[in-house]
Amino acid sequence: MTRFLRRILSTLLVLFAVVSATFFVSQVLPSDPARLVAGPQARPKDVERIRLQLGLDRPVLVQYTSYLRRLVHVSTESGASLDLAAAPPSEAHKNCGTLGPVHFDLGRSYQMRRPVAVLIAERFPRSIALAIAALFVQLLVGLGLALWGTLTPNGRVDRALYRGSAVGLSVPTFVLGIVLQYIFAYRLAWLPIDGFGETFLARAHAIVLPALTLGIYGGIGFYRMARSELQNALGEDYARSARAKGAARTRVVLVHALRNAAIPLVTVIALDLGTLIGGAVVTESLFRWPGVAALSVSALLDRDGPLLLGTVLVTSIAIVLSNLFADSLYSIVDPRMRGKERAVTGR
Amino acid sequence: MNRLALGSFLFLGLACSEPPSTPIPRAGTGDEPRYGGTLTVATFANIRGLDPQAAADALAAEIDEAVFAGLIDFDDKGAIVPDLAESYELSKDGTTYTFHLRSGVLFHDGNELFARDVVRSIERALHADTPNPFASFFRRIEGFDDFQNKKTPHLVGATAPDDRTVVIHLSEPDATMLPLLALTNLRPVCANAGATYSDTWLPCGAGPFKLEAGGWDRGRSVTIVRNKDYFRKGLPYLDRVTMLFNVNPVSQALRFRRGEIDIFRDISNGVGLQWLRDPRWKDNLFYEPPHSMGGFAMNTEMAPFDNVEVRRAVASAVNREHYRLLKPTQLTILGQAIPQGVDGFNPRAAAQTFDRAAALEHMKRAGYPFDPVTKKGGYPETIRFVGYRQGLIELEAQLLQQDLAEIGIRMEIALVSFPTYLAMTSQRKSVALSEQAWSADFPEAYDFYEALLTSRSIADSGGSNAAFYNNPKFDSLVDDARRELDREKRQKIYDQLSQILVEDAPWAFVESYRLLNATHGYVRGYRPHPTWARDYKSIWLDRGATQ
Repeated sequence: MTRFLRRILSTLLVLFAVVSATFFVSQVLPSDPARLVAGPQARPKDVERIRLQLGLDRPVLVQYTSYLRRLVHVSTESGASLDLAAAPPSEAHKNCGTLGPVHFDLGRSYQMRRPVAVLIAERFPRSIALAIAALFVQLLVGLGLALWGTLTPNGRVDRALYRGSAVGLSVPTFVLGIVLQYIFAYRLAWLPIDGFGETFLARAHAIVLPALTLGIYGGIGFYRMARSELQNALGEDYARSARAKGAARTRVVLVHALRNAAIPLVTVIALDLGTLIGGAVVTESLFRWPGVAALSVSALLDRDGPLLLGTVLVTSIAIVLSNLFADSLYSIVDPRMRGKERAVTGR
Repeated sequence: MNRLALGSFLFLGLACSEPPSTPIPRAGTGDEPRYGGTLTVATFANIRGLDPQAAADALAAEIDEAVFAGLIDFDDKGAIVPDLAESYELSKDGTTYTFHLRSGVLFHDGNELFARDVVRSIERALHADTPNPFASFFRRIEGFDDFQNKKTPHLVGATAPDDRTVVIHLSEPDATMLPLLALTNLRPVCANAGATYSDTWLPCGAGPFKLEAGGWDRGRSVTIVRNKDYFRKGLPYLDRVTMLFNVNPVSQALRFRRGEIDIFRDISNGVGLQWLRDPRWKDNLFYEPPHSMGGFAMNTEMAPFDNVEVRRAVASAVNREHYRLLKPTQLTILGQAIPQGVDGFNPRAAAQTFDRAAALEHMKRAGYPFDPVTKKGGYPETIRFVGYRQGLIELEAQLLQQDLAEIGIRMEIALVSFPTYLAMTSQRKSVALSEQAWSADFPEAYDFYEALLTSRSIADSGGSNAAFYNNPKFDSLVDDARRELDREKRQKIYDQLSQILVEDAPWAFVESYRLLNATHGYVRGYRPHPTWARDYKSIWLDRGATQ
């Protein structure tokens, strides 16, 4: 229990540090968010009025403390809703996302002019869906190739795959994405070129190409890691003993080696989940997948303070949670680790 | 292997296997407009807001033009014509506009539009709590300052003496007022918009199209549908217009070839050049009028550009033809401040030209003689050039570096992010030489001269006069032009301003910018509008059943 509390406390401390650092770094950057809202050609008088409206004329410390004070609070009033037709909340709570009586006030985006909590609530599930789909592809591609290479005798397939993977790793995601888009969406017209879709079926179609792009790219890296882990495991005494006792190669690979290689692989997969949620910037932009990553980049480019803080906060939470998830998976895969801290952090 | 090279190789291989595309033809043969259909356009950008009284994005204007009707509008030649007003007149002293409204005009919510709605909308647009980026353009409406400072509850200069009459009083004659009123900024909005701006209000006006229920999916698309009660009977022809946001140009090209986008605007230079040479595309390519210009601002408060001869040297050293060739489908050489598509442009006005011998002579007069053979002499310090990370700017900076090296000026290039660039270049005594561009806020030369070159646009930070050019004579001529209502006399003043700019050279003007559009054959009635780019009410579709 103490360990759990310590973990929660350190997590909160990390999030506080990330939010504070983001806030102050964005203040130090030489830029004027009010001018970016008004447009680069706006006249100084109009920029000044918009600065007052956004509250950017207040001292930095006042802005910081009022942000922190509002960030988490308790109220019985309703907050902002995803449903535009819903009754508008009171002025004090118009930007709040709610979890029962707990309100999260992430402020209002300067550029999008909507509550940050609503923008993130809209986009976060889409980023998670894409991350999970991409991880599925990554696992399929990575583990599939590693097993194929390891199980095929003579090592010819393995060598070819290994050399090919070096080329595959060199292809940036945007090129892979464009090529997939060209073949499957434009030439074969099996899938939409980009977009998100209106119905569940349309969305299931729309997620395929971005998930393939991320998954293939991640899968190639994962293949190299899985291959090396499998080969290490096959060199261990228990694998050699199993072979000496007459176990088939397939059995040794799938039952003995894979079980032991799974420990670092599971860690990597879990950690990748956090990275994919907040880091699929290029893929989200290329396929117009409306997720959190593209939002965070536009927030940074527009110096949209509240939106930047909100996306950084949510992405940090995703990474922290995926770390916790990795820890718990770790103890499931390796019974020896139950009740202990994780020793291997993966890549 | 280099990642980019490999990627490009793979993609080029695929692209080369693609047969050259041709426009999808029209289905019928007649020229009688047909009703119905959905027109789809796309942009790589996003529109952040559609409220005409707070919209800062250039592309929002063409949607707002379709959704909101104004007292007056620009016709397809760029002339100002009555719209909601049947007629209007200006008082003899040039300070009072009286607009006589049509009767029976309905807002999208079904309510009739009266003169008081026009006044209410003007007050909403100019209210201190509305984040209107253009409010100060209207500061010559009487009582503007008091209303902005909340000293008066109403704007005294805008009144509705009866249901059909709107009167706008100005503090002095202002030639920019009509083009400003023809913009979408002050257009009447439905009563549910409230007295001031609200983030949650959805666009509702009296234009030919109205926002479809749930039709604005922020960051993804906006869909507008035909307003059956539009006051111009028979218009518009289209059932629906959809604009997709954040679509990268590669996806746009693929979508356009498949007929999923009907007007293609973000055409790459390579594809544009190919199509311009291809006779099959002859009738399907259109240029939008050039409303933007670009060049290099020289900070007249900083060495060496506090010396007019150095500025003249730079203006003469820029070989504009090389810059044009960086993007020949979009750039046109421009040696003056006013681009060709803006009222006040005069092709015969004084303009800067490339003349390296003259540039070397100016360097000599400035006290920095340079020998191009021995490379000896020139300005002893290295000048810092600031631009932001964008393909064309990065290339232009390198060309400028070469051009200046030829006259003995060494230049280092600093490329920063756009927000940083804006902050740096508008700060006093911060940047000596910078990339600058301007797009017409309204299609009148005054906009360029006032914003870029008068001392009124200088601020310690946040000003738009990046050359920090301060010439009282220039300022006063710009004021004269604004007050001069006679177009010919105003043009003469603009020509004088062009002459002064050639002499003082606060900028090296380089180019104007125009966008190439492509359509399929079935898109009819489309010509880029001189102000709005796309005027959706005049477009109709002649698609076959299979298209």
